[in-house]
Order: sequence, then structure tokens, then C-alpha cells
Amino acid sequence: MSFKPKDLPPTAVQLDMADMVHVDRAVARRILAGDEAAFRELFDRFFPRLYRFALVRLNRDQETARDVVQQTFCNAIERLDGYRGEAALYTWFCQICRNVISDHYRKRQRGAEHVVLLEDQPDMRAILEALAAPTDDEPDTGVWRQQVRRVVEATLDALPGHYGEVLEWKYLDGQSVEEIARRLELGPKAAESLLTRARVAFRAAISDLAGASDELTGSLGQSPG
Amino acid sequence: MEHESQDRKSSPDIVASLIRAAGRRTEPPEDAYQQVLAAATGAFREKVAERRGRSWILLATAAGVAALAIAFLLQWNSNTAQTQVAQVARVIGTAELAIDGDWKPMTETGGYLATGAKLRTLAGGGVALALDDGASLRLAAATELQIDGPRLVLLRSGTVYLDTRAILGTGYQIETPVGTARDVGTQFELHVADGSLGLRVREGRVEIDRAGNLVNGSAGEQLDIDLLGGVSRTSIAATDTAWQWVETVAPAPDIDGQPASVLLAWVSRETGRRLHYETPGVEARAATVILHGNIVHLAPMAALDVMLATTDLEYTLVGDTMEVRFRTEL
Repeated sequence: MSFKPKDLPPTAVQLDMADMVHVDRAVARRILAGDEAAFRELFDRFFPRLYRFALVRLNRDQETARDVVQQTFCNAIERLDGYRGEAALYTWFCQICRNVISDHYRKRQRGAEHVVLLEDQPDMRAILEALAAPTDDEPDTGVWRQQVRRVVEATLDALPGHYGEVLEWKYLDGQSVEEIARRLELGPKAAESLLTRARVAFRAAISDLAGASDELTGSLGQSPG
Repeated sequence: MEHESQDRKSSPDIVASLIRAAGRRTEPPEDAYQQVLAAATGAFREKVAERRGRSWILLATAAGVAALAIAFLLQWNSNTAQTQVAQVARVIGTAELAIDGDWKPMTETGGYLATGAKLRTLAGGGVALALDDGASLRLAAATELQIDGPRLVLLRSGTVYLDTRAILGTGYQIETPVGTARDVGTQFELHVADGSLGLRVREGRVEIDRAGNLVNGSAGEQLDIDLLGGVSRTSIAATDTAWQWVETVAPAPDIDGQPASVLLAWVSRETGRRLHYETPGVEARAATVILHGNIVHLAPMAALDVMLATTDLEYTLVGDTMEVRFRTEL
């Protein structure tokens, strides 16, 4: 499952969402044409992300998450002819995964299950602000850190291309731009550009979440009719 | 590192802080990876074998098919003057409007479109138009069309979705070189590419008239039709992922000051799910809880999550049904 330079699409250095859709459509066509390498590349790229996607929606039940992701891949491949590139392929897979999870709950008749994503909750902004200025007396740090982890994981997984991996190499592994460039077999300028784009994409994704939540936190509420 | 340095000087490095605080992402267990890979590889090989087995049929139907132009004859209006025909309800990604022969970026919503307007979306783009009679017309990515009259749209290429919810019984017509389609109060999608016409019916019924030969498409059906009249028919659920792009570009209603039931009805329709209240009391509550704020730029399900979180209601997706009840954990 490790990421290798050959996995990086040629255009990854300058990918935006429109480019991603182009790449995704090409990948889908290659898979449908029987290109097993393309299928394996997609599998390795999507499996860990979908697994995490399912895991948080299934109360961290690993066995069920595995089964759900397996069904998701089978359903997606069966319906791949219908993928027209209206959305990123990963987004398309996520929707299939949602449906499989919904079916899972229906079959088990567990109507009480209601998973609300943290990134959709109104206190998202507060979490991010708390992270930006952590304090020693932060209450219940373990829970807080777990919430942040879920949000960041979801955000990194939702980024196009391999932006998530590049950001982890930089900020978790402490790799320099030069080291990232060598790992990706890119020039330093191209690696720097890739990292910048990854940072911008991450900021935009997290800001969208926080912005929506802030707006809702400030103005939403209910009043009896 | 110039950009990064400037970035860091201007504000705290929230990107680095967040990623470091979160730590490395959860890696799936190796045995899960191997099991899913084996199953997915089997599905892949089966799919490829199935496609190769039917390839000769596709070749036969594709041969000689010329480029199509699809006309939506929504309701003929002989008014030839330039009139307002639609309002831009939402733009996602790159969409362009032809002005004096040049394609110009179309970035703002709220603008009006007149007869003769030509629009196109590029990869990753999408547009929602509010037609004057209340119907919603949506353009998927890589779609080009021309509005030829108050209720006449020419689809040159790509994919559109029409929702005629507000005007049941108007009797919309869709003309194509393959035949004429008629619908009543429905949701459906048309796709034009490489000379073929794809029709997906989400709700209601669509009748296609090919020189007097009628072909019916009902809710839950997908028809692929070529110029030679070849029709292949498959099923498609109202919640199938194929409809996902429609949700993505859906213009959110103004729910400020509206009861929760309005939001629930909108989400239900946009996602193709049946809305069911657990009890009459829950339904009554949904009709009286007033929401405040806006859901602009939120997808239907995300909007529902954040808005219902401010109420004492919650929902569960059970198959194709969205079950609403009182919140069990406050």
C-alpha cells in the first residue's frame, strides 16, 4: 500500500479539481478496457481512504468497515460504465460507500444508528480555533484530539491526487522539499509547487468546513413556530 | 519555498499545526487490504470479461452514428423577441457564456438569460438554471446548450437534468433525431455523446416517439438509444450514484424562517429518497420548528445534518427512505 513515484499521475504537479476529473475519466476508461495496472493503482489509492470513510460511519467497527469497503469496490466496478466524470472518482466511490452503509443498517434493522460527521457539526470552528491556540487547561484533551484527528483525516482523504501524502511527508516525516522532490522524481521547483498547491487545497477544504460551521453557529438556531 | 515562507509570515501555520496535531492517518489492517483486494480484483476481471463478451453488439450499434443535436422542446412559444427565459441559480467550477462569439467566464449567480443564450460547462463544472415556469434545469460537466426560446433548449452535447416538480401536467416534450420524448411532472436526465442518447428517469414517466413507435421509460429505468433505434434498457434506483452530480449542483432554497419540513422535503427530492415521519407528532413538529440561517453551498445531505443538529429532530437513512423522528440523544 505504500506510495511510489510511479503512482503519481503525470499532471499531479498542477492538479486542480477539473484536471482531476479528466484524470479520473481516463483512469475509468483504462480500467474498463481491462488495464489491471490501472485498477490496482486506483485500488491502492482509494482503499485506505474509503476504509477510513467507512470506519467513522460504522462506530469504528473494523470488520464491518472491511466488508462495506469490499462491497463498495464490487459495486463501483460493476457500475463503472456509468461514471461520466461529473464528480471526482473518489467522491463517486464515497457515494457508493454511503449507500452500502445505508443498506447495512437497513439489513440489520438498526434504525437508531445516526452518524453525523464531525465536519458537518456546528462546533467545528471552535475545534479549529482551539487547535490554533491550544491551552494547558484544555478539558478532555483526548476527546478533543480524537475529533481533530477525524476532521484532518477526512480533509486529507478528500484532497485531490496525492496532496494528502505530500503534506504528511512534509509535516509528519519532516522531509524537505528537496527530499520530496527526489521521492517523486521531480525537480525542486515542481515539488515546491506541488507542496504549495497541497497546502492551499488543505486550507481551502478546512476553511470551507469551518466557514460553513461558523456561519451556522452564528446565525442558526431554532425557535418554536 | 518562497510561497510557503510568505504564507508563514502572514499567519500562524494552521496547516502544519493541524496535521501534526492529528498525527498519521489510520492505516487499514493488512488482512483487510488483502481480502478486499482479492474480492475487488475478482469483480474487475469479471467486469472486463462481461464487457468483452458484448463488445460486438456495441460495435454494431455505434457504426455510422452521426453527431446528434438534442432539442428540448419544452413548450413552444412563438415569441421571437429576445426575452428572459431563465435565471442562473448556481455555478460550480468553470462555466462559460458566449458573448459576441467569445466564451466568457460565468461566475455569478442571479443573472438572467435571454433567448439565444449559449452556455457551456467545462470538466468539473456545473450550472443550475431556474426556468421561468419553476422547473430546474441543470448542466453537468462538459455540457453545451443553447436556449432557443422561452421554453426551447438545444442540447448540443453533454448531460442535463430536468426537474419539473412545480408544474405537473405541463406536458414537456423533448425532440431528438431519434425521436420525441414527452414527460409529465418528472425528474429525468438526458445524456448526449458520440451519437447516442441516454435517458434516465428518476420519477414519473417518459414516452419516446420514434416515427410513431412509442418507447416508454418509467421511473427507475435507464434507456440507451442510438440513431438506428437500438434501445437497451437497464434499471436505476432513485438513489443511485449516477444522480450524484445533480445533488452537487442543486441550488439550495432559502430556508431562513422556514419550517424544518421545507428543508426535509427539499433534501428528500434532491436525493431521491422517500420522506417518512416516524409518527404524526414528528411530522407536526417538523412543520412548526422554524430554521434560521442559510445553507448556501451546502450539499443537501450536509445541509440536513447541520440544520437538524439545531433541532430536536434527527433522521436515519434506511434503504431509499429518510426516516425522521425525535432526537434520542440531546
